[in-house]
Amino acid sequence: MPGIEPLRRLQWMTATVRDVIDETQRVRSLVLDVPDWPGHRAGQHVDVRLTAEDGYQAQRSYSIASAPAAAQLTLTVERIGEGEVSPYLAGEARAGDRFELRGPIGGYFVWTPDLGGPLFLVAGGSGVVPLMAMLRQRAAALSTVPATLLYSSRGFDDIIYRAELDKLAGQGGGLTVVHTLTRERPAGWSGFTRRIDRAMLQGAGFALAARPRIFVCGPTPLVEAAAVALRDIGHEPHWIKTERFGPTGS
Amino acid sequence: MSMDRHSDGALDGNAAGGRLRELFALDVTAAEIVCDGCGAIAEVGAVRSYGGAMGAVLRCAHCDTVVLRITHTPAGLWLDMRGARRLFVAAPVS
Repeated sequence: MPGIEPLRRLQWMTATVRDVIDETQRVRSLVLDVPDWPGHRAGQHVDVRLTAEDGYQAQRSYSIASAPAAAQLTLTVERIGEGEVSPYLAGEARAGDRFELRGPIGGYFVWTPDLGGPLFLVAGGSGVVPLMAMLRQRAAALSTVPATLLYSSRGFDDIIYRAELDKLAGQGGGLTVVHTLTRERPAGWSGFTRRIDRAMLQGAGFALAARPRIFVCGPTPLVEAAAVALRDIGHEPHWIKTERFGPTGS
Repeated sequence: MSMDRHSDGALDGNAAGGRLRELFALDVTAAEIVCDGCGAIAEVGAVRSYGGAMGAVLRCAHCDTVVLRITHTPAGLWLDMRGARRLFVAAPVS
């Protein structure tokens, strides 16, 4: 088949933690040095493998948060109480620590500037991570594709990347960020205060005729409700890409 | 995405991408898979995926047929695709 190139074999690589950034109380970003990182596209993920002294291995997948052009690979991880991997990555990991990862993985939930837009991103909690990689790439590429992020968080202090999103949206580059806070709101909050629903998707999103590329990532209930509502509104199923993750976050 | 879970909850086929790359030389999460149970066509990344320490089970989102099962055992790697009629990988747009 002309034009279809086999991929490089997927190898486990050693990542060294260069820096740790506290994003919220439960979420941290790990800035990693990965020698020979082959590059990635926004929306892709990596598999992380931790090996205990007794040889026991645990493996999980985490979205890449950094733009492809960034000098380091960044993962953003939410600490899940009972998880085997996230308590380490989002809690104990320190600069200089090493662990194994492989990637980049995935060609389905991916946006590149040549895919165009408008870009309608819908996130719940740490589901914002792969979408942030898309927004970072859009900014790095000086793309003028109109973009909207509709982002549901539990409370104001749970908004991951809040300052960076404010900055990106304030640059006049065609990015709109719409927050909804489902549990706790600061005094004077004038934004949405309910779960993402059809009316919100219709109000925040783009007209059908604009044929937006839509990416939805979050806990399963949010993703399924949003995907159904987007189809009901009339968006083409082909342009609605979804990615669910494990715990419901409740 | 932060797929650190203990639940049996379904994820997307995308989550099985690493497992599938152990076998396929192409990225198949963007490929179309046709369910042998009901004929539904879906991108592999979009079907339901149930993962565990040993592998992944992908099920049709429409009729729940197991369309792909990839399993690691100490003996080796097993692929069972009897629930899929075919897999289609599109040539890249250029």
